[in-house]
Amino acid sequence: MRVRITEYLDIDLERELWCCNRCGGDLISAREPYKRGCLLHERDPREIHKPISDHPVFNYSFDPDWVRIIEFYCPHCGVMVENEYLPPGHPLTNDIQPDIDALKRKHAGGGTS
Amino acid sequence: MTSLKDQIKLHEGLVYDRHAYGKGPGWDPELIVEKAAEPSPIEKEGYDLLSDVELEIFYHKMLTIVEEAREVWQNLSISDIILAGDMSTAIFTPSGDLAVASTGIHFHALLNYAQSKFILKYYRDDPTVGLNEGDIFFFNNPLAGSTHAPDMFTAMPVFHEGELVAWAEVGGHQGDCGSVSPGGFNPYATSRFEEGFHMAGVKIGENFRIRKDMLDYLCGSVRNPFVFAVELRSRVATCLRMRDRILREVERRGPAAVSGGLRRLIDRSSELASDRLRQINDGVYRSILFNDTIGAEKGLVRIPVTVIKEGGEMTILVQGVSPPNGKGPVHATWHLVRASQAVYLFAYFFRGLMPNVGLFEPLTFLIEGPSVANSPEDVAHTEGTIISAAVVQSFHIIGSKMLFDSPFRENVSAPFSRNMVALVFYGSNLFGYRATGITSTGNGAGQGARFDGDGEHSTGFYWASMTDAGEVEEFDARYPFTIVARGLLGTDYHGFGMYRGGSALIEVSMAYPNPVVMTSWGTSDVISHNPGLFGGYWGPPNPRLTITKNDALKLMAEGALPELTHHSLAAERRLGGEYAFESSSVNPKEFEIGDVFLCDTGSGGGYGDVLERDPEAVMTDVREGMISAAVASRVYKVVYDEETLRVDHAGTEALREEERQARIARGKSFDDFIGGWLTQKPKEHLLIYYGDWPDPRVPGYDKPFWGEHD
Repeated sequence: MRVRITEYLDIDLERELWCCNRCGGDLISAREPYKRGCLLHERDPREIHKPISDHPVFNYSFDPDWVRIIEFYCPHCGVMVENEYLPPGHPLTNDIQPDIDALKRKHAGGGTS
Repeated sequence: MTSLKDQIKLHEGLVYDRHAYGKGPGWDPELIVEKAAEPSPIEKEGYDLLSDVELEIFYHKMLTIVEEAREVWQNLSISDIILAGDMSTAIFTPSGDLAVASTGIHFHALLNYAQSKFILKYYRDDPTVGLNEGDIFFFNNPLAGSTHAPDMFTAMPVFHEGELVAWAEVGGHQGDCGSVSPGGFNPYATSRFEEGFHMAGVKIGENFRIRKDMLDYLCGSVRNPFVFAVELRSRVATCLRMRDRILREVERRGPAAVSGGLRRLIDRSSELASDRLRQINDGVYRSILFNDTIGAEKGLVRIPVTVIKEGGEMTILVQGVSPPNGKGPVHATWHLVRASQAVYLFAYFFRGLMPNVGLFEPLTFLIEGPSVANSPEDVAHTEGTIISAAVVQSFHIIGSKMLFDSPFRENVSAPFSRNMVALVFYGSNLFGYRATGITSTGNGAGQGARFDGDGEHSTGFYWASMTDAGEVEEFDARYPFTIVARGLLGTDYHGFGMYRGGSALIEVSMAYPNPVVMTSWGTSDVISHNPGLFGGYWGPPNPRLTITKNDALKLMAEGALPELTHHSLAAERRLGGEYAFESSSVNPKEFEIGDVFLCDTGSGGGYGDVLERDPEAVMTDVREGMISAAVASRVYKVVYDEETLRVDHAGTEALREEERQARIARGKSFDDFIGGWLTQKPKEHLLIYYGDWPDPRVPGYDKPFWGEHD
C-alpha cells in the first residue's frame, strides 16, 4: 500500500520505501531521509532569480555569497521533488521523518490515504 | 518504545522552556511561560453551568462583543495602523487567560495575559496599587510580555458586585514610544535603553478615567502627542464598551456562568486542538531560515525549527540558534516566539477552531536561550519580530508538510510574504500635527502558492490576515507623505512553481507637501524569508530603494508621470534622479519634498515543480506582466509565439522532457554531492554573529543533515 506524503513523495508501507509520486520509482528506505535517494544539484540562485536592478548587491536577487539553491530530483523521471535555499556548505534539512511504525498502524486496515 | 519527544537532546547550560532572563521590576518571566492558570473559584463554580448548546451561544455572544469592540476602536482611531486592523480586542478569564479574541492580530491577544497575571500576583494586594473596578492598566515592556515597545496594551478588569469576572483588553501597534528613532524602530539600537519608554502593568487610570498626570507623562514622552492621546482614549473607550457588554451577559446568565464559560471555552479549544493533532501523522519535521542582518550591520543569523508531533501533542524546538550579539535590535523573547506562532496556527493549522490560548495547551515550546530567539535582558528588542516571524515561516512550511497527508490538506500552502522593508516616517501631516509610524502597505502581503492554486495577490497583513492596507486618501491626510502609485506589478518578483506565489501590494510614496524624516528596517536584503514548498522557488529578496533629486514633481505638473511599478523603477529607472539601492536598515535621514520611496513586503513563494505549471497559466503571467518572456522560456520551459503568446504544447512538452533528462544528467547522487558541498563555507565576515559554523552551538558539527545531536 502506498501513502502519499507530499506532492511528489509516496511511502510504500509494505516495502518501507520512499517512492516518486509521479513515476512510481523507488528512492530509498522510508527510515532514511528521502533526500539520500534523490539526485542533487547546486545552483547559483541568480540562474533562477535574475537580478532586477543593476546594483551589484541590492538587486532583488539572492547573493550567492549568502545562499545557494540545492535542487533534489527524482533519479528516474527528473521531477523536482524539493529544493533548499542554504548558505554554501550548510548541512541539509531532514525535513520529514515520519514515524513509520505509527503510519503502518494507522493504515493497518488497508485503503488509500 | 522510545517516544519521539524523548529523542530530543537539549544542550547543557542553555535554557529552553523559559526566558533567558530573570525576574525584574514589573516583570516575572515565570508567570509568562505558564500555561493556562488553574481555574479561579468563580471559574470552577460556573464551569458546568452552561450546557453545550448554551456554551456555543455564549461563545458567539462573546465573539460579537470583541468584534464590536474592534469596530469601536477603528471608528475612534486616527492612527492608520489601527484603522487598517493591526490590533486586537479580547476577553480574558478572571485568572488572566485569553478566552475570546477578535480578528486582527491574534498574537497580540496572546501577549496581553502577561500584564493581567502580573497584576493579579503582585499588585492586587499591594496597598500602593491594588485592583479595583474602573482601573485602567497599560504596558509595552517587552521583558514583561510585550512584543516590543511600539506595541502597546491596555487592560481593564471587569468586576460584578466586587468580584472579578473577566478582563477586557486591547493591544495594537502604537508607533512612537520615545525611542531614539522616530516611530519606535531603531535599527542601530544596541540596548533596550535606546528604545523608548518601557511600562509594565502600570495603573494609568482609576474610576474609568485616565489620570491626567499619566496622560501628560506619556504624551510628553513621544513625538506625536496628539495622536498618542487620541489613541489611548480610544483604547480605554474600547475596553469600556467590552466591559459594558460583558456585564449585560453577567446580568443575564450570572457571574459564575460567564467566568466559568470563558474558562470552558479555553478547555474546549484545547480538546479540539488535540483531536486535530491526533489526525495528523506522527513524526519529526524540520525547516530552517537565515537572517542577513542584526540591525545596522550585515551578518548571517541562523534560525532552525524542529517540530515533533506525537499523538495529541506537538513540541516546537528552536535549537541551534545564533547567540545574542548585543549589537542590534534583532532579538526576540521566549514569549514573542511562542505567541507569534498564532499567525500560522490560528489561520491555517487550526483553522476553524476557536482562537484562544487553549489551542496552545497541547503544544510545548523549547526555545534555546540565550540566543537571538530567546534573548537576555538588556539587549535591544525592537526588531525581534524578524526572528519570531522566521520561526513562523518555518512552522508554516513544516505544518504544510504535516497536513498534506491529513484531512486538512486544504490548509497546505507556502507562507505569506514576509520580506519586510518597513519605512518609518516622521513629520507634519496635512492637518498640521506631527505624525509618525509605518504605513499599512505591509498589509498587502502576497500569499504563498497553495496546493491547488496560485497564491492570491495582496491578501492581507502577514501578522493578521483579516486586515486591509488602508485608504490612499487616509494616508495622504494622516501621514507626512503622499502616495503616488499603488499596484501589484512586480515583474519576476515572486516565487515560481507549478503554482506561483502572489504579489505584494507595491507602494510608491513621496515626501510631500513637507520634508520628512524616514528610517527603515527590514529582513531580507540579499536572502529571503518567503520560502516555496515542494520544489517551488522562493519569493526573492527585498532591499530598500529611494529616488532623490528626481523629476517626479515636474512630470506630475506636466501630466507626464509614467506608470510607476516595481519594475519600471527598479529595472527601468523611468524616473530621472539618484537611485539608492541599499540595505533596508538605515538610520533616520531627512528627505526633501519630492523624494520617492518604494515599499512592499516581497511576494509569496511558489509550490511544486516549475515544469508542471500549466503553459497557458505561464502565458497569462506574461500577458499580465507578472513574469518576463525570459522566465517563461528559461525557467518554465514554455515554447510559444512571442507575438501572439500562443503556446506550442508539443514543443513545450518536448522542451520540458529535455530539461528533466538534463536534470538527471547533471544531478549527483547524495554521496557524490555531499562531500564537496560540506567543504564550502560562507566568507568569514558574514559569520561574525553566527556562532560556530555550521551549528552555532556545536563546534565542529560535520554531519550531512543539521539537528542530529546524538
